[in-house]
Amino acid sequence: MRSIRQALAQSLATKVILSTVVLSLGVISLAGSALFSRLSDGIQSASLTSSLAESKFTFFDAEYKLVISRNSTVEERKKILADIIVNSTTQVVKEARREVAFLRPATTTPSKNSYEMSSDLIVPKSIPQSLRKQIAKSGEVKYAYAKIMQKSGVEEQSLVVGKRVNIPSGGMYEMYIVFSLGNQQATIELIKNSLLFTGLALILLIALITFLVVRQVVRPVREAARIANQFTEGDFSQRMAINSQDEMATLARSYNEMALSIERQISRLENLSRVQQRFVSDVSHELRTPLTTLRMASEVIYNQRQSFDPVVSRSSELLSAQIERFERLLEDLLEVSRFDAEVAVLEPSEFDVVNLVKRCIKDFELGDTDTDSGIRIETESEKVVIKADIRRVERIMRNLLSNALDHADDQEVVVTIVATETEVAIGVRDRGSGLDESALIRVFDRFWRADPSRARVRGGTGLGLSIALEDARLHNGELDAWGRPGKGAHFVLTLPRVAGDSINARPIKITPEDFHQENFYL
Amino acid sequence: MTLVMVVDDDQDLAEMLGIVLTSSGFDVDLVSRGDEALEVFRNNPPDLVLLDVMLPGIDGIEVCRLIRQESMVPIVMLSAKGETQDIVRGLEAGADDYMQKPFRDKAELIARIRTRLRRTNADVTGLLTIGDLVIDVTAHEVQRGATLIQLTRLEFDLLVALARDPGRVFTRDALLSEVWGYRHSTDTRLVNVHVQRLRSKVEHDPEHPEIVMTVRGVGYKAGGPA
Repeated sequence: MRSIRQALAQSLATKVILSTVVLSLGVISLAGSALFSRLSDGIQSASLTSSLAESKFTFFDAEYKLVISRNSTVEERKKILADIIVNSTTQVVKEARREVAFLRPATTTPSKNSYEMSSDLIVPKSIPQSLRKQIAKSGEVKYAYAKIMQKSGVEEQSLVVGKRVNIPSGGMYEMYIVFSLGNQQATIELIKNSLLFTGLALILLIALITFLVVRQVVRPVREAARIANQFTEGDFSQRMAINSQDEMATLARSYNEMALSIERQISRLENLSRVQQRFVSDVSHELRTPLTTLRMASEVIYNQRQSFDPVVSRSSELLSAQIERFERLLEDLLEVSRFDAEVAVLEPSEFDVVNLVKRCIKDFELGDTDTDSGIRIETESEKVVIKADIRRVERIMRNLLSNALDHADDQEVVVTIVATETEVAIGVRDRGSGLDESALIRVFDRFWRADPSRARVRGGTGLGLSIALEDARLHNGELDAWGRPGKGAHFVLTLPRVAGDSINARPIKITPEDFHQENFYL
Repeated sequence: MTLVMVVDDDQDLAEMLGIVLTSSGFDVDLVSRGDEALEVFRNNPPDLVLLDVMLPGIDGIEVCRLIRQESMVPIVMLSAKGETQDIVRGLEAGADDYMQKPFRDKAELIARIRTRLRRTNADVTGLLTIGDLVIDVTAHEVQRGATLIQLTRLEFDLLVALARDPGRVFTRDALLSEVWGYRHSTDTRLVNVHVQRLRSKVEHDPEHPEIVMTVRGVGYKAGGPA
């Protein structure tokens, strides 16, 4: 059932053909049965008329002969009756056979001389009682259609015509003429079969015609779908062929116009992207070279600062620090433009992520002189080898750690590593000022600051988290953020064990477990 | 005196590099065009070449290839573009190391230069074997049977580092620190490219290495004796 419904939903041709067949089946069977009932009624009424006329003559003849036999003996009279029966039965062929029966009315008592007799082939008892009652009541000719039992045991649809006749010295008898309708039935059967056959043939023809017509319509539609598919797959040169003046041609024309317009737009965008890429590359070269000179020059000056007076000395320190900041900003900006231009390339290699995280933490602890916040690492396994871009994973970790330390308010930062067969997750949890709902939405936005009035301890560029998110997504991974005001924040990086695979689970839930526990006890 | 040839089209940077290198005790030759570099190189062979990638005339990668055809001198590429393909192309053309502009600090530049100039493994002398190769550390020669194999200094150092400690598996980071003198760096492309270059020179079939073996997920180790 489902497969039929599926076939209907998937194929326009099947749907059209099936509904055409169902509808024409209805129409043809209506027309056929109307025609059939007209024809069979006509045949029946024609044969009824002639049968009644013939019956009347036979009744008259019989009555006449019986009246004449008034003075005959019983035997002679029986002979006359037998003659009547024989005369009316023998003259015809088998199919249009008629039988004659004389029956004593049920109301009269049986007398010694019974004239009940019938032609050999029928069982008189099978003449319907309802007809017999009518005949008993009136002297008119009455008829009925009934199944009459043959002596051979076969029931046959027949027309039974009856009349009361007076047999001298015998009283009232019922005379019946039974017309076999076998012939008529055969004709009607033939008509019925012809109609059925014609109807079926018509339906098959209609189905065939519909199939051919539908194919004419569906083929161009399928062709159009194929071309649209190729277009989707990137072959923008595909166009539909126009070889008629019909609606399909209109569709093809509109489609081709659309395709042309899309092709132009795409090539325009590609061009823009190329310009953007070249710009990124040029800016990179043009800014980096002078920055290198600046950097070295400022370093030479900085190293001599003891020999300057305090104002120049402090200026050289500021110069040196700002050049460093400028450099970081430039690097981050270039990275962001690479993501925007979609030219960022993943360079996966196999490495131990636990080791990498430990090294990042160690670097922070060494460089960390202004604040005291420590970093604790919790990991189930001592070694988790993944295939990823080590430079990017390290950058994500550095960004997350520096962000956590910036906001930890001197509380401990906890790094958790959980690995499954297919994923590895790294959570960075701080117990600092935390983030509210509106901050969570914007935390990955470029240059967004949780608290603009807050001094930047580590002098981040404001691009770190947004780059981290892009780095994670480049691996087909995810970076999620959680936070509550006053309860700290939790960032979870989830990466596939092999970069580019999809992640099916989150080994570390974004809502930290300690948060659940706290709330449970509250 | 040690002579460093600086090839960079940015005159201010070249001058600044000159100041820094001179103050660290090097002699400096400044060249501003790629097509002039080879001539200067031949006339006055330096001990080390600092080579910018983007140069007028012919680009730094081509200059690197040309120098490498006639000399095993250490070459350090300077790249303003952080694009990986540039770095890899430079390394494949024969550069030993690269530095991305802007340099972290002057000390880093000087440290890299000194590492490239220093005879690493100076404590090792005599003969070492790795696979079916014999390394004469003192004579700075590698032989397979009677055939001499030409290696750059860096490739030689890399091979010696592996050969002197046959059982040990070297992580890429360990090699970076022992051979390149990095205190810490995550740029393992340097190792990968040089291992490939070394293999193309010393392996019978670089696709199935027997001398520089890969230890999956960890790094490299020396192949057993043939």
